[in-house]
Amino acid sequence: MENNAQHEGNHGGQGEKLKTSVYFCRCGSNIASRLNENAALLKIECQRDVSKVKAVNLLCSEEGKEFLKNDIMEDRPDRVVIAACSPREHELTFRGVLRDADMNPYLMQMANIREQAVWVTEDIDEATEKAVRLVRAAVSRVQKHEPLEEHEIEVCPDVLIIGAGPAGMKAALSIAQSGRKAVLVEKTPVVGGMPVLYEEIFPNLECGPCMLEPMMDEILHGEYSSNIELLTLSEVDELLGFYGNFVARIRKTPRYVDMDKCIGCAECFEPCPVQVRNTFNFGLDVKKAISFPFLGALPNAPYIDSRKCLRFIGEECTMCRESCPIEGAIAYEQEEEMIERKVGAVLVAVGADLYDPTNIPNLGYGKALGVYTSMEFERLLSSNGPTEGKIKNMGGSPPSSVCIVHCAGSLDENHKEYCSGICCQTAFKFNHMIESQLPGTRIIHLYKELVIPGKDDFSLHHEAKDNPNAEFVRYEDIRDINIYTPGEQENVQVDYRDASGREGSFMADMVVLCMALTPPAGSEELALKLGIPLDSSGFFEELHGRLDSVQSKVKGVYLAGTCRSPMDIQKALDQSMASAGYILSGLVVGRKLEVKPTVAEVDADRCGGCRICVSVCPFKAVEIDGETGKSSVNAVLCQGCGTCVAACPSGAIKGNHFTREEILAEIIGGLR
Amino acid sequence: MSEKPKLAMYWASSCGGCEIALVNIHEMILDVDAVFDFMFCPCLLDTKIKDIKALEDKAITLTLFNGAIRTTENEEMAHLLRRKSEVLVAFGSCAHEGCIPGLANLHRSEDFLESIYVDNPTIDNPESTYPLPECDMPEGTLSLPEFYDRVSTLAQVTDVDYFIPGCPPEPHQVRAVLQAVMSGEDLPPRGSVLGAGSAIVCEECARVKADKKITRLYRTYEIQPDTEACLLEQGILCMGVATRSGCGAPCLEANMPCTGCYGTPEGSMDQGARMSAALGSIIEVDGKGLSEDELARRFNKILDHIPDYAGLFYKYSMSSSIMKARRK
Repeated sequence: MENNAQHEGNHGGQGEKLKTSVYFCRCGSNIASRLNENAALLKIECQRDVSKVKAVNLLCSEEGKEFLKNDIMEDRPDRVVIAACSPREHELTFRGVLRDADMNPYLMQMANIREQAVWVTEDIDEATEKAVRLVRAAVSRVQKHEPLEEHEIEVCPDVLIIGAGPAGMKAALSIAQSGRKAVLVEKTPVVGGMPVLYEEIFPNLECGPCMLEPMMDEILHGEYSSNIELLTLSEVDELLGFYGNFVARIRKTPRYVDMDKCIGCAECFEPCPVQVRNTFNFGLDVKKAISFPFLGALPNAPYIDSRKCLRFIGEECTMCRESCPIEGAIAYEQEEEMIERKVGAVLVAVGADLYDPTNIPNLGYGKALGVYTSMEFERLLSSNGPTEGKIKNMGGSPPSSVCIVHCAGSLDENHKEYCSGICCQTAFKFNHMIESQLPGTRIIHLYKELVIPGKDDFSLHHEAKDNPNAEFVRYEDIRDINIYTPGEQENVQVDYRDASGREGSFMADMVVLCMALTPPAGSEELALKLGIPLDSSGFFEELHGRLDSVQSKVKGVYLAGTCRSPMDIQKALDQSMASAGYILSGLVVGRKLEVKPTVAEVDADRCGGCRICVSVCPFKAVEIDGETGKSSVNAVLCQGCGTCVAACPSGAIKGNHFTREEILAEIIGGLR
Repeated sequence: MSEKPKLAMYWASSCGGCEIALVNIHEMILDVDAVFDFMFCPCLLDTKIKDIKALEDKAITLTLFNGAIRTTENEEMAHLLRRKSEVLVAFGSCAHEGCIPGLANLHRSEDFLESIYVDNPTIDNPESTYPLPECDMPEGTLSLPEFYDRVSTLAQVTDVDYFIPGCPPEPHQVRAVLQAVMSGEDLPPRGSVLGAGSAIVCEECARVKADKKITRLYRTYEIQPDTEACLLEQGILCMGVATRSGCGAPCLEANMPCTGCYGTPEGSMDQGARMSAALGSIIEVDGKGLSEDELARRFNKILDHIPDYAGLFYKYSMSSSIMKARRK
């Protein structure tokens, strides 16, 4: 074999024969014992395009790799074929060896003669033939390979977190602790999300605000709080760019209270002449146009509801400012701001909503007195809620009987097909709290299924089961329940048909509907702004349900908590930490982002701008140039899946390292 | 004998539309006549084959060869004109990619003879007499060109210098090519496609393009399409996405879908495969909670609106596709 001078830059031009070395790994006896090695080597050696063949015992061992490196450095082949195991196992290993040997790692092709030939072919001659064909295919393919270069880009390590519930707060703290900046954007005036509204939290019945208080405090005044920029009453308006280099535009609506100056003394509430329905108590009570959302809300500064405040509907009123002891704390002059922040990653933790109970009219919500959703009941239980924690109907007396409807809208093909996962625990928590506040109250559980997995979750269930005043009735279909107010009565009648078909009826003073958890209002709009997809249930869709459930389909946008799927607080926080883990390990301060060359590339001359590639890309990596109308692929976002390459009808898109020429050469080589 | 360079135009298996396309350059035909000695064109002139055979090799400067190769005569003429021509151009879709004659590759030649000469309501042929390549008569042996089993493109039987796509090529493109040849400017490398673009028809189509998702297909008589929006997005099977640019998209301007006559795009090897891959990527079935059988049923229901896959996707390029013909 001639040992020519280096063939650097020899890319398979016409007529030039490339020097191609084949390394045949025996894989111990794994490959060697299952084929006729001599015959195989002979056949490979006399193949067109093969310059030499060498058999090695264990190419992936340290000696094997050393041998491969030295042999390549000595021989300087133009192309290398490694006949061994699956590329999933050792392609990266051998690419590394080529790199060490000063050869472009993409000028190598593996022939998987172990998994695809000898392990699955009993007959030795057939296995030999198959292995030879696989090598031939690889040799034919590698002639077409092009040297590909990885490149690096600068990244911003800061993070945008949308939603300041427990999941968002936890992630913000972790990011802040690592020394990066977290921009925490919250739609409402307060932090804490849903559970901050709960008096007690299952399974251990900790007080919600108390449990979250240390975390909220750390966000606001902790050691790393200077790394957290909390933007309340704010929403993301636009997200541009890509992993490592996003630009977020955030719309911040005014609070009309200067958070730096206000001390939260609440002197301004009393003089305010306007009452508004308190949305934090789901309209069960009223509050002033300037007020806290609820007692103990953080940040500790009130906000002005500008839809109701007299100043904003054209009247002159300065009552709150006049009563304020701090100069300049009430800031009527605040205006809506558009804030721009550069971040490297985005975490979506916008929580969930409850399914609208009026979608199931037979449950009587909004018509029969004393019918509440589980969220409303949480507020009735809460010491900072409309009844200061007393279980009673609004304006009424404590109930002597409460009906709790489980699975309302869940596990139901007419409503939400999924199990909401948290309602059983919520219902049993209610059971406990009713029994401890009003011992002897009759509690009727209407349920479809009971779901109580995990090591902590049995105790509330046992307690409910053991409660002599609690009854359990299993129903099959939510339509078998009818809740209404008969005649002049103040309480409600519940008619039902149970799962065995028996019909029954009872009177209740109060009904609690454990509604299904749904994606939050506005998630479609947010998904559109972030460029990430929703799943068939409307939740934010994960990259992979098992392996990558906190990554969205767009690289650099992560998901945590109930906006991804119904889940409890524990799981939501686990997910937020998983997201933080991805972000902290993926975007490292001082390290550039490596951009893989095995991505799709558009040949603009061949592109006709039909936009099919844009329609099919699952990673939002394809963009259309506004001026030329032609498409281009963002190499950072592209995952090299090849969907656009296959779909492009003009053949303008090339999948690097999987070009048509390469694939065709491989097929022809294998069939030759 | 004229000193002018010689121009020839030949038709193999074709319809004659390409000759019309040449004449369709209007007054410029006079310039062509002034520059060239237009000496061979069976459709228009009475030059005989023996006259061509008598020429020296490469005596013809430019031959525009239209039509596919379907018979021994087609192939003989292809070889002859190759030998006698300086520049041989595959002119029009038949010579370039097989076009309509190429669809014959989906059937066997016996089947054609059967349906043309025997199984045909307007034919009375009780003895099932077929034309034969050779027939002995008292006066001697009569012969006919032999009918090949497979229709080929010009480049599949001989070396071709340039390709001009289209069924037929658009006059402005024919003019541009002839202008370039007449002006003596350097032509692109041999083997290139002339008189066409390198992208797809969408590039020249003025309609507004958006992201594509199709939930049902329409045949042209079933819908009055919007004149501004992309036809494919409206569910009409417009082949423009998988067809080489160059025509200027006149069909789209007339609110009719592209049928694909400019052929396989520059970056592709198979027009029909590209179109079906594209279509498969954009047809949407709401599959939520459906069984695989039901999904397949719904998908098939959409596809049932395509009455003739090969005739639609490979109307112009069967002979040059990857499969090239039906496998027996």
